[in-house]
Amino acid sequence: MKVLAITSCPNGIAHTYMAAESLRKAGEALGVEIKVETQGSIGVENELTSEEIQTADGIIIAADKNVDKSRFVGKPLIETGVQDGIHKAQELIKKFETGNVEVYEESRATVEEGKAERKSQQNAFYRHLMNGVSYMIPFVAVGGLLIALSLAIGGVPTDSGLQIPKDSVWKQINDVGVAGFTFMVPILAGFIAMSIADRPGLAPGMIGGYIAANGSFYGSAAGAGFLGGILAGFVAGYVAKWIKTWKVPQMIQPVMPILIIPLLASIVVASLFIFVVGAPIASIMSWLTTFLNGMQGASSVILALILGAMIAFDMGGPVNKVAFLFGASMIGQGNVQIMGAIAAAICVPPIGMGVATLLNKRKYEKAEREAGKAAIAMGLVGITEGAIPFAAKDPLRVIPSIMVGSMVATVIVMLSHVGNNVPHGGAIVAVLGAISHPIMYFVGIIAGVIVTALMVNVLKKNIS
Amino acid sequence: MKLTELMTENLVDPALKGAGKDEVIDLLIEKLDAEGVLKSKRKFKKAIEKREKEGSTGIGFKVAIPHGKSKAVNKPAVAFGLSSDGVDWNSVDGDKAQLIFMIAVPEESAGNEHLKILQMLSIKLMDEAFRNELLQASTQEEAWQLLEQIG
Repeated sequence: MKVLAITSCPNGIAHTYMAAESLRKAGEALGVEIKVETQGSIGVENELTSEEIQTADGIIIAADKNVDKSRFVGKPLIETGVQDGIHKAQELIKKFETGNVEVYEESRATVEEGKAERKSQQNAFYRHLMNGVSYMIPFVAVGGLLIALSLAIGGVPTDSGLQIPKDSVWKQINDVGVAGFTFMVPILAGFIAMSIADRPGLAPGMIGGYIAANGSFYGSAAGAGFLGGILAGFVAGYVAKWIKTWKVPQMIQPVMPILIIPLLASIVVASLFIFVVGAPIASIMSWLTTFLNGMQGASSVILALILGAMIAFDMGGPVNKVAFLFGASMIGQGNVQIMGAIAAAICVPPIGMGVATLLNKRKYEKAEREAGKAAIAMGLVGITEGAIPFAAKDPLRVIPSIMVGSMVATVIVMLSHVGNNVPHGGAIVAVLGAISHPIMYFVGIIAGVIVTALMVNVLKKNIS
Repeated sequence: MKLTELMTENLVDPALKGAGKDEVIDLLIEKLDAEGVLKSKRKFKKAIEKREKEGSTGIGFKVAIPHGKSKAVNKPAVAFGLSSDGVDWNSVDGDKAQLIFMIAVPEESAGNEHLKILQMLSIKLMDEAFRNELLQASTQEEAWQLLEQIG
């Protein structure tokens, strides 16, 4: 049996949570699956999803305050005071076992409810994204910090970028960090899908995310990055959710969530990347490469603007890769100034977002503020990915801000003729002596960071 | 953050005097006021009484949590008193209240960390073993050590 409950009290300070805890304990004692939404002064926590309501055997509202019941039309519903939630939790749950609980009916579906419904659908997109991002952040932090540390201490500048000697212990530490990064996009996609479709969504989401992040599946030199991961997560989630609604014979019902749904949804999301998304990514990459090569004669300011925007746009995704490889190949042709501009652009997104979290705490949740500190460390050693959690959570505000910041940095650095002969970015290349005019290099980075931080904080709203 | 960060040792009284509910409320308000928690004792008491009118905060299990959210509160704080005789608090289960937590919360305050702490306190009070340990506390220090576990 599965029971849902809502607890609430006038001040929302104590009784709400006592009743919730008491109901949870009672559920545990009776072997009944229970989830309790608390409507307290902190706000709504542990919110019941429409899916959970659909599959629940009964609803308990233990509240001394008005609770919106429109979500529960057609469900057996017990309404009582919060005190009963504290003292009579077991009795309340047992009532559903005997089955004589009245089903809640409401004849007048009001306009108000329709509005609330639409609003919750709009928020669903962000809710799914946020779920994915919150699970991804520790992977980015662990991976990013270990890579940052090993590059900063063990890295040696070479023609092919900052390399860590194979016999060094830092190589192994770096590998552990890379393992963390490898999980980043699959975890993002997996938990977006899980937020949409519950457990059956996790496997297709993670598999889809892995495919999205690995271009080799679809003949592309670069994967689709975190933006591809978000796409994979949503596709896997909604496909799984749709398959869940299929009417299937009783006999195969038990294997639906563990076998059929994950299998079919994985096939759909994999096919999408291999047959539909993959080819355009590969052709966009080759088109962008040709385009950049053609831009060499054009004004250096325009080239700088384009490169800055490309580096920040998808942070490690295909567009970023094209710009980076273009800069690296230019070093081989003796033009080190393009890599100079790119190196500055690389570190603006993570440092800019980190500084933004320090400037205005009210616009970022606690986990984000921690991710912000890690992002600054990653930015200093040229790991753009540090900004991904921010961009994945709120792409429409964050991506433009980091693009503009990186463009400011590339233009300043390009006009100052700063050269960089190591294909790597961040403050570390200057520290290692690869930058020809370190002062103007840092001026460009700082200007870009300030622009990004101010712009994103203007665009972002306070968290509620 | 811990519950004890919302408390000082002076706010813990292992031998709470006061015969009736009203007297105990006054005693605990005095303690909060002595620690600089309140702007106005009178206004805070009004908030406490208003909440008691909406329904007794005697939650049963020998626990009462009179609480007030008011502009008269400078900073979130919790006072704890242990009454050996018990105080009649109109509890649902009829038992006298022995573990009395008075909670003061400002009307508006930045962040909700203190609300999280009170949430932890509420959850912990549902734990019978913890309540029994607290009932056994005989000194300020013993009570403080138990309260330090919360958060």
